[in-house]
Amino acid sequence: MIFEIRRHFILSAILLMTMVWVGCHDTIDTPPDGRDLTHIEYKPVPFLPVIPEGYPALEQPADNRMTVDGIRLGRKLFFDPILSIDSTISCSSCHLPGKSFTDGLAMSEGIAGTTPRGAMSLLDVGFHYHGLFWDGRAPDLEAQALVPVEDPVEMGESWPRVEQKLRNHPSYPDEFRRAFGTKTSGGIDRHLAAKAIAQFERSIISGGNSKYDRFARGEIFLEEDEFNGYLMFFDFDPTIPDAECGHCHNAPLFATNGYFNNGIQTSTDLFSFPDKGLGTVTGIASDNGKFKPPSLRNLVFTAPYMHDGRFQTLEEVIEHYNSGGHFSPNKDAFLYPLNLTPTQKSDLLAFLLTLTDSTSIRDPALQNPF
Amino acid sequence: MTLLLFSSLFLGSGCKDDKEGQLTLHFKAVYDGEVLPTFSTRAFDGVQQVQFTHLSMLLADLQLLHGTATENLSDVELIDLSFDELAKATDGYTLTIRNIPARTYEGIRFGVGLPADLNAKKPADFVSSSPLSKTGYYWLPWSSYIFMKVEGRMDTLGSGLFDTGFVFHTGSNPLYRILEGTLPLTIEDGRVTDLTIHLDYKKLLEGIDIKSNPQNHNPEDTEQILKLVNNLGNAVVLLQ
Repeated sequence: MIFEIRRHFILSAILLMTMVWVGCHDTIDTPPDGRDLTHIEYKPVPFLPVIPEGYPALEQPADNRMTVDGIRLGRKLFFDPILSIDSTISCSSCHLPGKSFTDGLAMSEGIAGTTPRGAMSLLDVGFHYHGLFWDGRAPDLEAQALVPVEDPVEMGESWPRVEQKLRNHPSYPDEFRRAFGTKTSGGIDRHLAAKAIAQFERSIISGGNSKYDRFARGEIFLEEDEFNGYLMFFDFDPTIPDAECGHCHNAPLFATNGYFNNGIQTSTDLFSFPDKGLGTVTGIASDNGKFKPPSLRNLVFTAPYMHDGRFQTLEEVIEHYNSGGHFSPNKDAFLYPLNLTPTQKSDLLAFLLTLTDSTSIRDPALQNPF
Repeated sequence: MTLLLFSSLFLGSGCKDDKEGQLTLHFKAVYDGEVLPTFSTRAFDGVQQVQFTHLSMLLADLQLLHGTATENLSDVELIDLSFDELAKATDGYTLTIRNIPARTYEGIRFGVGLPADLNAKKPADFVSSSPLSKTGYYWLPWSSYIFMKVEGRMDTLGSGLFDTGFVFHTGSNPLYRILEGTLPLTIEDGRVTDLTIHLDYKKLLEGIDIKSNPQNHNPEDTEQILKLVNNLGNAVVLLQ
């Protein structure tokens, strides 16, 4: 009998303690570290990207190798507005596949209005190893992916809230498990989300099928106007003008590792640029007014042009460089009046259009999965 | 037997000649012997004035010399001497090389640019941490790396208006230059030896007509750029 009373007392105590414990948590079913996911198989399959000929190797962080499930998760997160405070803005809102992962706007639109700069194309972004954003403030894709969520204009959300949304989501925990081996839903955090998005973004690779690529491989000839433009772009022929393009837009990516002042802002000194660009990040005066040169691949889809989208057409862009640009002390020395004839400008445009390759735009693996 | 083997390993290790020291090289841009921050104004050839905006070079096969032998220090380095601030320009670009066998060397040797075998490669052949991965240092029409960049702007009238940009980029195998300086350089065990290397841009541009020919992108017009690379021998000064 004493034994029975003691047994009931112990059971009651356990029940009471359980009730107290449950009272401190959201649901009875969710342990403090979240839903158990270990019943889901974690068997990562490496993703082997197809790299166009002549490209550098696609480097991946040792702790974030691309996997099939990692990219699948990253693709969903990229297209899902769950990352924004009002579920209206996703990464893809500013990086639309059909516009070669830009948005067609001079300044991108976020939940709270207009951002101060335009969206850069994500095509081949995985090969950009020397800073991301126009001002290079993110060292890599994993760091970059963390930024827009908490930007008050872009997504206006907080990572703790996003983490909660993802942990409580009906399907995301399973996908994090498959992608990263997360043991419980509570293990989902911003860094894993950013890693998944970075994996997907690294998979946005040019198809290597542009007319220029085929020409570079010796498969086809360029038309006469395209070829003249090519010679001017890279200064192959000293008897015709050097359009000075290749310094900042070198093959094969048609971008470079550097940052440049391309003469689009007037400044009498090193400190008066309306947008200081790289200088804001480095604090070095001569970096003021410098920006990351975007890739020119698929530029027919990426209008308007420049970090502030000031040029609507490629003709306007060419006219800007033909003029030599606006004065500032650190304007790149390669900008000076080119005095190109209308035919030469037309030829240059013809070459730029050879950089068009819609493979990535049409690639089903890069489209919205929802 | 085990004890004997261990003892001999221990003795062997104790007898190993592993005295090593560190060499710190301080590369500095100067103009007529004075430290040269970028965007500072310098007189050039009469009334003209120049401001340099970018100064850098690729260095290859950095070696210390002792007798007919060499001690290899580094295959390739990108030396960027573009510093706005006087203090940083005074400090210059520092290159630290550790674990150099301690001894007295008779000189130092390095190439400005790349030897032909390395220059036959392309940025895509290198990992992103290598200076040779930088596409901004490769020029497609030359099928060559850019060995040295000297960029700036000029006030041709001495009026204070720096309205003429100039760019001298060297590249292609014939423009590779190997420089060798003889001086006793002692690396001591566990200690740091400093060596300062000045690149005097006034001497480098000696005989160059910037105003008439502010760029060198014509491969058939090598006279000016040959003059520039041939000035390297006078422009580079070793200081201890």
